[in-house]
Amino acid sequence: MSLTDERAGVLPAGVPETASGDAAGALAGERPQGTAGARPGLRAGTRPVASADERTVVSADGGPVVSADERPLAPAGPAPLTDERPLAPAGPAPLTDERPDAPAGPAPLTDQRPVTLSGRDAYRDELTRLAASDDTIVCLEADLGGKGHPFQAAHPERFLNLGIAEGAMVDMAAGLAAGGHKPFVSTFAPFAALRAAESLKLTLGYLAAGVTVVAPYAGVSGAWFGTTHHCLEDLAILRSVPGVTIAAPYGDTEMRAVVREAVRSGRPHYIRTGRNATYESLPALGDELPLVNWEFRAGPEDVCLVSVGEEGTRLALAARRAVPGTAHAHLVYLDHEHLTEAAAELARHHARFVVVEEHRGQGGVAEALALLLPSCRVTSVSADRSWPSQGGDHEEVMAALGLDLPAVLEALDRASTTSTASAGRPTN
Amino acid sequence: MTTAVLEEPRVGDGDLAGLVATLTERAVRARRLVVDMAASPRGCHLGGSLSVLDILIAALHRASAGDGTEVVLSKGHAAAGLYAALHVSGVLPENPAPLYGLAGHPYTGHPGPKVPGVRFPTGSLGHGVPYAAGWALSQRLRGRHGLGVAVAGDGELQEGLVWETCQVAAAQQLGNFVLVVDRNGGQNDGMVADISPLPRLAERFAAFGFDVTEADGHDLRALTDLLAEDRSAARKPLAVVADTVKGKGVRAVEGKPGCHYVTIDQARAAKWKRAIR
Repeated sequence: MSLTDERAGVLPAGVPETASGDAAGALAGERPQGTAGARPGLRAGTRPVASADERTVVSADGGPVVSADERPLAPAGPAPLTDERPLAPAGPAPLTDERPDAPAGPAPLTDQRPVTLSGRDAYRDELTRLAASDDTIVCLEADLGGKGHPFQAAHPERFLNLGIAEGAMVDMAAGLAAGGHKPFVSTFAPFAALRAAESLKLTLGYLAAGVTVVAPYAGVSGAWFGTTHHCLEDLAILRSVPGVTIAAPYGDTEMRAVVREAVRSGRPHYIRTGRNATYESLPALGDELPLVNWEFRAGPEDVCLVSVGEEGTRLALAARRAVPGTAHAHLVYLDHEHLTEAAAELARHHARFVVVEEHRGQGGVAEALALLLPSCRVTSVSADRSWPSQGGDHEEVMAALGLDLPAVLEALDRASTTSTASAGRPTN
Repeated sequence: MTTAVLEEPRVGDGDLAGLVATLTERAVRARRLVVDMAASPRGCHLGGSLSVLDILIAALHRASAGDGTEVVLSKGHAAAGLYAALHVSGVLPENPAPLYGLAGHPYTGHPGPKVPGVRFPTGSLGHGVPYAAGWALSQRLRGRHGLGVAVAGDGELQEGLVWETCQVAAAQQLGNFVLVVDRNGGQNDGMVADISPLPRLAERFAAFGFDVTEADGHDLRALTDLLAEDRSAARKPLAVVADTVKGKGVRAVEGKPGCHYVTIDQARAAKWKRAIR
């Protein structure tokens, strides 16, 4: 079920206008939001990150720069709004999906780590760091790695831009893995999960090759680039391929932990991330990410938000600011095996769940949890079945699909008013 | 397909004629095994299995050198030919023919990694070419001289993935990547020339930046020579366009498009096997 913004501007009953951290509001980024007369948390939630300072990244020379996402939406002069690199960039950095040019020389590897990076930049940075002590790691791109990839700077002999050839890239990764390498391949989610779908089935699934696919531009993070650059179907595809570890990390810290685990385990991974948005990481939980990251557990009768992925988690955090005291469980790993265990843990504490995910409802995590938890009530806040055909930023395109804070709040409201008698009881 | 069990005669150790005789004897045995598989309840892709056999036997001989050469049958529907070639080359100890297509055994109609000597699943056409290219890349990164050898059908070249990989292999200067085309002229629904022809094929590979050789795909001496080449210093991938005959070795079906997939009875199999020389 996808909920629409019918209740925009209407507060759920009993919601204070100013949210405050509740007993378990320990997540970084949790902060009071509301402004009188406005929906608490709504505006704050309309940016991918909670505050401007969180979006500041630090350049290699230590000076603050802004990420590409933060550049003015209408910079002086024409800005190419395509995914092609400008042939001759001049003046202000263009609003493309490419990274800013990297500084000359190797990227800083560890201690100079920026405060927080976007998912794909955190991946690149972490893999570059890991490859310094593991010469079997190779990094493959299909012309969407951007200029100045840190892996290329640090390990040029093991960085291969294979060109616009996603299927060949995934299959060649299978060959590399058979030869003893640990290939990490990356291209936008629509091209990885859909164009190269058969290669993923064979390489990650049937062969169980130690190949990791990192897929930025998942969901509609491609926003105004249009439907060809959106991917609301990848979880449905990858979840149906046995043996693939699927992760949708939120924030720099989780991404790095997932990448480390992919290297360590040697298992096939599909890692879903967005474009350039940065998110304040959840509190560090050590290298081993929990199956269920409980931000807050409420009483067994209470509805529990289940957040998936970057934007699902952002919306859940915003909803918690709007409705303090809401239970919230965050999931990183989304494949059938992990979800089966996570579902059991969820059901030990709650019986009603609202799953927030930037994916189609069909084949998404809510559907999976509903099957895994037949005695519980699982509601989905997910993309509807339309095709975004207009521009807009990431949030605007999500909203057009019914994925926004009002939708989450309405789903919470509906789930809260559902009779517990019809919702099953927590099992323990 | 890098493990050799049999004592492999080596070119340069003396008797080239002896080597060719050994490989020829293997080819005869393998063709009879393929006919046995056609006589199984499942039948098999007979024509393409027989056309590709000499290529596979020569390539497996190269792989037996233990230098890290990997052979990938990309035209996976010729699985019967592959199983037979692996068996007569000593890589696959058990005789696959009586087990072909049976429950509890890995000898499916398209090969997968459960078969000893098979690393990659093929059958969905095109994928074996990048598998072999990735293998070649891995060898190069490790400073080894093994080849990644893909054996593709000519009909298979209608798949875009093949050309995508050729583009990548040339750009990456994968001199140790070898693509052998089993040009038997047929495909599932008829003749390649009638369905989606491939004119000037050698020129196409050359235009992509490959070294190109055309060969008789049933000349074991020529194939062995070609695949024995040290390509450690090569900067261009190698394409070998090998002309073959669909159904080669079984006179009743040679060159006939209808032999793409064949199921026969035991009596006919016995007759065909006796005629194979």
